[in-house]
Amino acid sequence: MDETEAALIERCQGGDQDAFGGIVRKYAGAASGAAYLMLGCREEALDASQEAFVRAWRHIRRFQPGTRFYPWYARILRNVCISRLRSRSRRRTVALAADPPARSDADPEILVERSERERRVWQAIFALPLAHREIISLAHFQGLSYKEMAEALGIPIGTVMSRLHAARRALRTKLAGEES
Amino acid sequence: MTCDQFGDRITAYVDGELEPLERTRFEKHLETCDVCRRELAETKALKEELDMMTFKEPSDAALRRYWQSVYNRLERGLGWILFSVGAILLLCYGGFKLVEEIVRDPTISVVLKAGVVALVFGVVILFVSLLRERLTVRKVDRYSKEVER
Repeated sequence: MDETEAALIERCQGGDQDAFGGIVRKYAGAASGAAYLMLGCREEALDASQEAFVRAWRHIRRFQPGTRFYPWYARILRNVCISRLRSRSRRRTVALAADPPARSDADPEILVERSERERRVWQAIFALPLAHREIISLAHFQGLSYKEMAEALGIPIGTVMSRLHAARRALRTKLAGEES
Repeated sequence: MTCDQFGDRITAYVDGELEPLERTRFEKHLETCDVCRRELAETKALKEELDMMTFKEPSDAALRRYWQSVYNRLERGLGWILFSVGAILLLCYGGFKLVEEIVRDPTISVVLKAGVVALVFGVVILFVSLLRERLTVRKVDRYSKEVER
């Protein structure tokens, strides 16, 4: 963890909301993107990531100094997103396994698309099941280690390994299917 | 060593997450296995491609709006708690006084008194039942909990 973040966290734990503003601004992009990949809706992603920051602030004293903030926050964000998906599935009386609908276009406010290839990759990611989309997001776009992913998902490291392997394989298959 | 024994280790190898001993065993296996070499190359290529992709960094104006929205929620959180506590106390006190007034008033019929008392008890039972259900669900619902370290 870099010293700036450690200092900000220390001030947050002392009740300094301005310091928390620094943390929020640092991770707002990653948080919104991660929520977007799970929820598939920009407005809901912004709202969920903000709600997760509010929850993080309320429990900031429980955060263990010396560790990275983002993996801790990622777990809170995941819980917020899963709760929203479950309420959504209850409302629509469809199973959570059905996942948000695959999007035809990625939101340019949240995801960077530098080429046609990148657009296709984002589309293929959105077409993956939730569990795969989630682990690809944690590993590649949020930069968590296997240990951090295991903590965020509440699963053993061995399961992280096999799930990530399956997710990458599924993504490769989707991309290959599109090209052929 | 067969390919089946490595399987998802290919992913861990690409991510640099394999233990040194396992890494050596896997590299030895790679020397003789075309299938794993191909799988490794494809996994590596995908990882490189995904690592180049990013979420968009919000503009300064978007960040300001974002933080303002979080800040407003933080500020309002305490307000909502105080408002809720106050409203519950006032409702309970007002309700109690109203029921007391009705029960003690000799001009009001017994049927109406019984109706008001039944209504109050019904509301209390429903409230307690809902509260208990919410608390029970919260106990077993892992997604409603925050992270503790």
